[in-house]
Amino acid sequence: MHARRKDGNVLEGFSLAGKSAVVIGASNPLGRAAAIALAEAGANVGVATTTRAKKEEVVANSCANEIWALDRKGFALAIDASLESDIDALAERAASEFGEVDVLVNAHDLPYAQPIGDISFDDWRRAMDVNLGGVFLACKIIGGAMVKQGKGRIINVATVLGERGMANGTAYCAAQAGVLNMTRALALEWARTGVTVNAIGAGWTEGMGIIGGDENRQQLERYLPYKRLAKPGEIRGIAVYLASDAAEYLTGQVIWIEGGALSHA
Amino acid sequence: MSVLDKLKLDDKVAIVTGAGRGLGRAMSIALAEAGADIVVTARTKTQIEETAGLVRQTGRKALPVSCDVTDSSSVNAMVEATVAEFGRIDILVNNAGGYTAGYNDELADISDETWRIGIDTNLTGAVFCCRAVIPHMTAAAQTGTGRGKIINVTSGFGLRAGRNNFSYTAAKAGLINFTRALSMTYPATIQANLIAPGLFPHGQKALIDWWKGGKFVPMGRLGLDEELGPICVFLASGLSDYMNGQIIVLDGGGLAGGQAPTGFAPVIPMEVA
Ligand SMILES: NC(=O)c1ccc[n+]([C@@H]2O[C@H](COP(=O)([O-])OP(=O)(O)OC[C@H]3O[C@@H](n4cnc5c(N)ncnc54)[C@H](OP(=O)(O)O)[C@@H]3O)[C@@H](O)[C@H]2O)c1
Repeated sequence: MHARRKDGNVLEGFSLAGKSAVVIGASNPLGRAAAIALAEAGANVGVATTTRAKKEEVVANSCANEIWALDRKGFALAIDASLESDIDALAERAASEFGEVDVLVNAHDLPYAQPIGDISFDDWRRAMDVNLGGVFLACKIIGGAMVKQGKGRIINVATVLGERGMANGTAYCAAQAGVLNMTRALALEWARTGVTVNAIGAGWTEGMGIIGGDENRQQLERYLPYKRLAKPGEIRGIAVYLASDAAEYLTGQVIWIEGGALSHA
Repeated sequence: MSVLDKLKLDDKVAIVTGAGRGLGRAMSIALAEAGADIVVTARTKTQIEETAGLVRQTGRKALPVSCDVTDSSSVNAMVEATVAEFGRIDILVNNAGGYTAGYNDELADISDETWRIGIDTNLTGAVFCCRAVIPHMTAAAQTGTGRGKIINVTSGFGLRAGRNNFSYTAAKAGLINFTRALSMTYPATIQANLIAPGLFPHGQKALIDWWKGGKFVPMGRLGLDEELGPICVFLASGLSDYMNGQIIVLDGGGLAGGQAPTGFAPVIPMEVA
């Protein structure tokens, strides 16, 4: 019922050679780092944006260039991750480029922070639709195809704001917490299908929009145990592990790479 | 360096406690396959010698040392023996532990001594090993040969409780917060993380039957010892350099749910107004 290699060196289980991956949100530093890491570990990787903002498209394109430079197949697609039709298009593109998709990384990120009184219900919905709804859609459509294949890995990328609150973060924090608990629920739902569902909980990471200005940044640097923000590449290792055969028995978990931010009282 | 090269542990030295059998043996072999030399320790000599033989088959060195982790002088001697043989310690896996007398008893029936043995085996032993090893890791970090990696083996019972399971759950939970405190206190010289295994019967029929073959585990099966190998290598390697004070639960989905992992799955249609 499960194909485990007992023979062979332990390190072989981490290789992604011959696998293919789709990374949504490769237009932000965490998604981009994950996409490049998967490619380095051997996977072909298609990347997509979170929204159709021009600056996201530019980053996604350069990420695809980096993937090609590693001699892997790949593509970049500008999408609005909250639209079902765009996820269908992404799934079709991936199917035509790669055949099957083995790994889906949901690194959706639409940064948004406002005092609650200033949040229109439309803006709340937009934040939820992209940051949480978009992950739902990708799991349903691309993950659903994995269930049919009988194997797959879904990796949702969230941050400490899925576990801790932040003033002005009602919508963003709620969406991130939603991603984490959706991860657990879907992991159970698909526990016997060969598809695992896990999350990476990243720390306060350089270049992520939610950090805001310099003042916030300096305050974070004073408080964090390492006295610095996380670098996006610090999630590379766990992304490869979770995507690989080495993590076959791990599902429904959030793995935190947050520089000690959550150990603090 | 490519992301996969960072997994290599070439010429690192790892101490694995409770390495005579079970998960400790599997993790010893995996660390050796990744390139580390292994100090194989537990109380039963024949078992650690057997594990040492398996480590040597991978081409790495093995030093079997008998040690009772609940006795600090025995721990200190084991650490001295390690330094005498290899001159350094890069990785410490605190895996020794398990149920002790008093498991399944009523609280009233647990003697002072029984309680202490439980806590000593599953918490204090790891504390003694960390206390003895960290100065060596600090020295290495100061000479620029890298931070030490400490991997503590807790349990699902460190995160959730069990009926009539007192000293084990308390000790394994204590090990979690001890590890977090370590990670915050010495971020410049060590990293300390935890593995929480689910149900691993080591192929023993009695355990497989007791755990009903894993049919209540969301994935529908029990864990295989060698499945702990990759995550142990990951936590010991440069791939996890920013990870500190964290728990990796490897349990086929067991802790993702609550009381009824997969059985309780209602289907309720959306109400139309
Ligand atoms: N198996 C599971 O399903 C499971 C689940 C969750 C957590 N865990 C944890 O994982 C670890 C390994 O479990 P396992 O199932 O592999 O156990 P195991 O098969 O019983 O092996 C335990 C090892 O620890 C050693 N040990 C026990 N007490 C010791 C002491 N006082 N000093 C030195 N060594 C000692 C034993 O050797 P000697 O007796 O010869 O000393 C043996 O080598 C334990 O910490 C356990 O609590 C296991």
